[in-house]
Amino acid sequence: KLNVGVDTVQHGVEGLTYLLSESSKLMISETDFQDSIHVLGFSDELNKLLLQLYLDNRKEIRSILGELTPKLPSYHNLEWRLDVQLASRSLRQQIKPAVTIKLHLNQHEDQTAQVLQTDPSTLLHLIQQLEQALGEMKTNHCRRIVRNMK
Amino acid sequence: ILDDPDLKDIDPTVLKHCHAAAATCILEAGKQKADISAISACLEDCKLDKERIEQFCTEYQRTELITVVSFSIGRSPLHITDVSWRLEYQIKSNQLHKTYQPSYLVTLNVESSDSGSHPDVSFSCTMEQLQDLVGKLKDAAKSLERATQM
Repeated sequence: KLNVGVDTVQHGVEGLTYLLSESSKLMISETDFQDSIHVLGFSDELNKLLLQLYLDNRKEIRSILGELTPKLPSYHNLEWRLDVQLASRSLRQQIKPAVTIKLHLNQHEDQTAQVLQTDPSTLLHLIQQLEQALGEMKTNHCRRIVRNMK
Repeated sequence: ILDDPDLKDIDPTVLKHCHAAAATCILEAGKQKADISAISACLEDCKLDKERIEQFCTEYQRTELITVVSFSIGRSPLHITDVSWRLEYQIKSNQLHKTYQPSYLVTLNVESSDSGSHPDVSFSCTMEQLQDLVGKLKDAAKSLERATQM
């Protein structure tokens, strides 16, 4: 339908793909993009179209590229349950509270669920430690680094 | 016991049987949390004389260790003992530049009731996900508190 050879179409597609993915990866500004394609000697109309294509698809391309980075299993969800152990084979008449946790993680599109258990004092310790972790981003040290990186 | 000079006149097999019987008796009594009167009654049924029963009971009262040990025997899901976290700020990857995102790496130190060691559970999460996780743990702690007040 385009009246050109298969090879030309393929090269065209590959070229476009490369242009858009590299531009999105580097997150280049509009001006930089325009300067870069200007070198190719296309018409102004074509340059405008390419720029629009870049701006429209940049976010999506970046999120897809983000999936390719090396990753650890990531948090998905946590379910919990309160249990009290009343007896066991080795000891009767107990009162042993425990918190049973189901941790859902994602890795490479597989979801795993792991069942873990903890006692009340460890639970409180976990909460305290993780709240400290959350607080770290708000410290002056972290704020300064974030500001200077951008 | 086999090396005790006072006992060397007794047949070692009989000695072993006595030792095993005494141990079983003590363990069962501990398991059922039997009190002294219950133990005495049981030993009387076995036709032990009063002096022996009294000696046994005095010795038994000395050892509280049994309950502690029995308490910890038993299978349970992997038990969380501690948590470590790491806060990092991502700048770029080879697939995607200028990412500028904070991320947390959380490791739950886990202990298994079977002595086979189990790897710790590690996962990454964003700040929002960590807030979700901590929120859920706090819910669990709150309902633990409410349960203890009932």
